[in-house]
Amino acid sequence: MKYFIFRNSTIEPFFIENEVSYSGYGDISFIPEDADSYIWFYMLPFKLDVKVLVEEIASFFKNLLFVFNQMAHNKDFYVFTLNELYSTRLITGDYKVAKAIAEYNLNIIDLAEQNKNIKILDFSNFTTRYPSSHLIDWKFYFLSKMQLNPKLSIDFKSWFSGQTKAIQFKRKKCIIVDLDNTLWGGVLGEDGIYGIQIGEDYPGNAFLEFQKALIELTKTGVILAACSKNNEADVLEAWEKNPKILIKKEHLSAYRINWNNKAENIKELVGELNIGFDSVVFIDDNPTERELIKQFFPMIETPDFPTQPYMIPNFTKELIESYFRIYSLTEEDKSKTLQYRANIDRMNFQKGFTDFKEYLLSLEMEIHLQKVNSSTIPRVTQMTQKTNQFNLTTKRYTEADIKNFIEQGNTIYCISVKDKFGDNGITGVIIILLNRLTKSATIDSLLLSCRILGKGIEEAFVYSVLNKLKHEGYKTISASYLPTAKNEQVRNFYEKLGFEIASDDSSIIPGAKNYIMDLTKHNKYEIKPYYKIIEI
Amino acid sequence: MKEKIKYLIKRTFGLSDISDEISTSSCEKWDSLNHLNLIVEIEAEFNVSIEPEDIAEMRSLSDIEKVLNKLLNH
Repeated sequence: MKYFIFRNSTIEPFFIENEVSYSGYGDISFIPEDADSYIWFYMLPFKLDVKVLVEEIASFFKNLLFVFNQMAHNKDFYVFTLNELYSTRLITGDYKVAKAIAEYNLNIIDLAEQNKNIKILDFSNFTTRYPSSHLIDWKFYFLSKMQLNPKLSIDFKSWFSGQTKAIQFKRKKCIIVDLDNTLWGGVLGEDGIYGIQIGEDYPGNAFLEFQKALIELTKTGVILAACSKNNEADVLEAWEKNPKILIKKEHLSAYRINWNNKAENIKELVGELNIGFDSVVFIDDNPTERELIKQFFPMIETPDFPTQPYMIPNFTKELIESYFRIYSLTEEDKSKTLQYRANIDRMNFQKGFTDFKEYLLSLEMEIHLQKVNSSTIPRVTQMTQKTNQFNLTTKRYTEADIKNFIEQGNTIYCISVKDKFGDNGITGVIIILLNRLTKSATIDSLLLSCRILGKGIEEAFVYSVLNKLKHEGYKTISASYLPTAKNEQVRNFYEKLGFEIASDDSSIIPGAKNYIMDLTKHNKYEIKPYYKIIEI
Repeated sequence: MKEKIKYLIKRTFGLSDISDEISTSSCEKWDSLNHLNLIVEIEAEFNVSIEPEDIAEMRSLSDIEKVLNKLLNH
């Protein structure tokens, strides 16, 4: 069973039948253990007696706490906020009910801040789309205690799945945006630096709003790149001289401004940013360019840009809701733009060296190696969910899974990597299953963010972990590679580290390989001098 | 109309094939909750609002037809 729902009214039409089970109405006596996650979906009862209603609302939170304290805290617990769908107050100036609702909502938010497995679902985000009269169909209320109009069930299901998806981090990573008639009105090459439409008056003000929205998105970790057919010098001059243009060079993690075809340019940008094509959204006002990109890279999202600038806010909303919604930010998300930009500085820097070793040495890399703990679990989980390219087995885990690994005595290390250009944050994870009796270990998962690839960090990471295992007396370590559409680059990774092929699972999964390494054969795995390993 | 209703019943109850004699007593899936789900579907499809008294009466395919005929021919 995917979800078990604690509820106080009839909500069956709003969930997918075979995914859920329900408590009795207001029943908190039974908490099934076989649910993957729990949901708390209480609705405000219709009552005119303010005193009774206020007490009842207070009791909801007590009940919720009672349930929460008994359930396994390694499972997600989705809690709906309480919202008044239909209010009849005898005394207009009486805000006791509103206060009780606000208090309830604050309480659950506090609880969620203290407990990472609680995820708040803001019910008002759904209900404010409809007028009060549409939210309730009294006929169904009286026939079967449905407090939400069953005619909204399809809308609700898609809203709910959108919300849970946002919580499970499936957002895109990058926007590649055109300039002329997209970031501003008009054509820079024809209208000139001050002739383009951007600023106070229509349509310039609509484009300005779009720029502001994109800047806000970069603050949540979305990386922004530009691809435009223009003279680069013209654009650089416009950035420098026209103060009304908000999105400047420093907001862009990379750009291609030239007369080459956009498919070529985008291919280069994606390579430079080191991301997958399927994490890109391409925004261009020109349908021909969108079609070109669609043809070349069907994995890139190419939403239709509005032909009238005043429709931009709807476009922006749609853009955010379809590709960039997120439940909460990790520190890594916030500084991602900076990190990608620092990476590009690193690449440019790289050209000045004749020797790659010299370059690596000059980076002054520090690898901070630590065991995963409760403060790093969210980021580590997120990485198992999102990492595609450097991922040996591509197993997706929830926070609960990660906690289980640790509770069962296994070891999970993560690394955060720092160099002279900046701190990349947690960017590598290895999950090791330990058998203390036979002194053998197994690498269940090994993954690195593509942000830190290309510097040999992966080898230093694995070797320092192997040294630790040796030190703890482990004799053998096994590992495997499971191929996916995206992890071709690590197909021979374990061979490079000196693992031997133990068996080949090709008959079951084409291309899969199992490895083994005898830890006793090596004295100590040598870590190159470019990396300073700091154990925390 | 009969085919349309049958289609709605099949879709709502998740059944691949049903007979014209289907009723609450002959069909396990036709419980009180699915009954209301079906009413929601019928109201939307035929653009009608069915009174609770009629909802209680609609216990077979032919009952549903009767109620709908009454509502649509008014």
